[in-house]
Amino acid sequence: MDFLGYILICAGLVFFLGTTIGLLRFPDFYTRMHAAGKGDTLSTVMILIGCICLSSTQVDGMELLLLALKILLIINFIFIGSPTATHAMMDAGNKAGAAPWIKDSK
Amino acid sequence: MSTLPIWQFDALLLIMVVLFAVVALSIRNLMGAAIVFGAYSFMMCLIWAGMGAVDVAFTEAAVGAGVSTVFVMSTLYNTGATMHRRTGGLAFKLFIGVVVTVAGVFLLSALPDLPAWGDPDSPVNAAVAPYYITHTIADAHVPNVVTSVLADYRGFDTLLETTVVFIACIAIYSILRVDKAKLETDEPAVVAAPRYDPGDSLIVRQASRFMVPFMQLFALYVIAHGHYSPGGGFQGGVILGASLILLAISFDLKFLLRQWSEKTLMMLVASGVFLYAAVGLACVFMGGNYLDYGELNSILPGERDMARSHGILLVEIGVGITVMFSMIAIHINLASNGRFDRGL
Amino acid sequence: MQNLISNFNYVIVVILMMIGLWSMLAQKNLIKKCIGMAIFQTGIILFFISIGAKDNALIPILTEAANHTYHDPDVAKVANPLTQILMLTAIVVGVATLGVGLALAQKIYQQHSSFDEDEILENQRK
Repeated sequence: MDFLGYILICAGLVFFLGTTIGLLRFPDFYTRMHAAGKGDTLSTVMILIGCICLSSTQVDGMELLLLALKILLIINFIFIGSPTATHAMMDAGNKAGAAPWIKDSK
Repeated sequence: MSTLPIWQFDALLLIMVVLFAVVALSIRNLMGAAIVFGAYSFMMCLIWAGMGAVDVAFTEAAVGAGVSTVFVMSTLYNTGATMHRRTGGLAFKLFIGVVVTVAGVFLLSALPDLPAWGDPDSPVNAAVAPYYITHTIADAHVPNVVTSVLADYRGFDTLLETTVVFIACIAIYSILRVDKAKLETDEPAVVAAPRYDPGDSLIVRQASRFMVPFMQLFALYVIAHGHYSPGGGFQGGVILGASLILLAISFDLKFLLRQWSEKTLMMLVASGVFLYAAVGLACVFMGGNYLDYGELNSILPGERDMARSHGILLVEIGVGITVMFSMIAIHINLASNGRFDRGL
Repeated sequence: MQNLISNFNYVIVVILMMIGLWSMLAQKNLIKKCIGMAIFQTGIILFFISIGAKDNALIPILTEAANHTYHDPDVAKVANPLTQILMLTAIVVGVATLGVGLALAQKIYQQHSSFDEDEILENQRK
């Protein structure tokens, strides 16, 4: 269970790295938001599930169940809130007139 | 280097905090500066949580990284001035830089006299703090030492702090609030209509409609459970305020004003401070000192220590009420420039 | 030099305070001044919290032993709660002050249409 926690947290960090590289290298506002929104949510969820697995070695039984429930609630809210925020930002960018990048122009 | 747990992590966070502060102050786009300032507050929150100050970290996360950023954004949205123009005056800035460096060197010259980082025998940790840690269960039956000292041993400080939040709310109200009847005659025209109307988005509305009840339930849990876990009146009050600010942002400001009219808001801001002061006065009527909750054991169930625990809970509820409605009132005033008609 | 490494947190506190102070004096934009004030305040709070930290210490919330009784706490292993309480007050007062500062900035913008100090002073002389 410990080992699974470490693997999940490392995988979350790898996705965060991908998000950051995408944030720096993508050519356009919309593609950057796409990378940020997806990568952020996925990495956070994986790291939190890894935390549940790691804490299973320290607490037991009822306390572990309560702790897992609380962390699952946090995951639930991040899963709902973070994509909504990304949508709101993309909507605002669209209305403000950010032009999408077209392949031939530069 | 003293053996703090994971000192490399702390040192890295401290360096990053300085970088974030420099970036927040040198960015030209003011909205970007507000966001980087929010990130700076969040880094500070992590540092303090690492040093064992969980209540403080909780408050900073709610207040600094949450509500402060919204206040700065509301101000910028309202005025439309989002780019900071590049100014000259390099000589003046260098002169101030020299003055500030000299001041910094003076402060740093006291460095050898300061206690080592993490020393349990330093003078700060030796005087009154051990008394609070060892006697909190016997005196007030509250395991969260921070809550018991905040609301019981140092209750006067918290009463006056709540009054300061109340006064800030009134001050902002009196600076910004304009009367609709005088609108066309006295004040100049509305500052700047924003360049585009953000409009309504179904997704944002539904998501916030889902989240607001859970935020409020969690905030009530934080207030009620402040005796046993990090939390208390301030943190719960700020989360409650943030839930209503979320409603104001995702729907319309008028939507919030239909649910909570201006008169209700201002009366409720005052009622929290009134509750706190009234609890203290009730203790005087029972025959004790002001804010001596132990005297309330004649009307509250339990012995003196349980009466103090219940007194702490009542007082935290008062603080939560004031902070909640203050945050909302300040946001409405800042976001609509005092006109209470439309805003962020 | 040894002091500089072992008391590293105080160095960072002084650097943060000086950054905030420089911003309040030298920046011309009103919003940057408000942000500088907030940075100064959080620097002070960091100072107090780091003074109260202890090696390998637990948080100041006592753990339950059995059936609503509590262990006797080992004072050297519990982080100092007194500095944390003072700083809780400081944070809330800090956000209230920031709110008042931003309200004043908005009102000034309404009269002078600018956040920039030089433009405001020029406008006032007219």
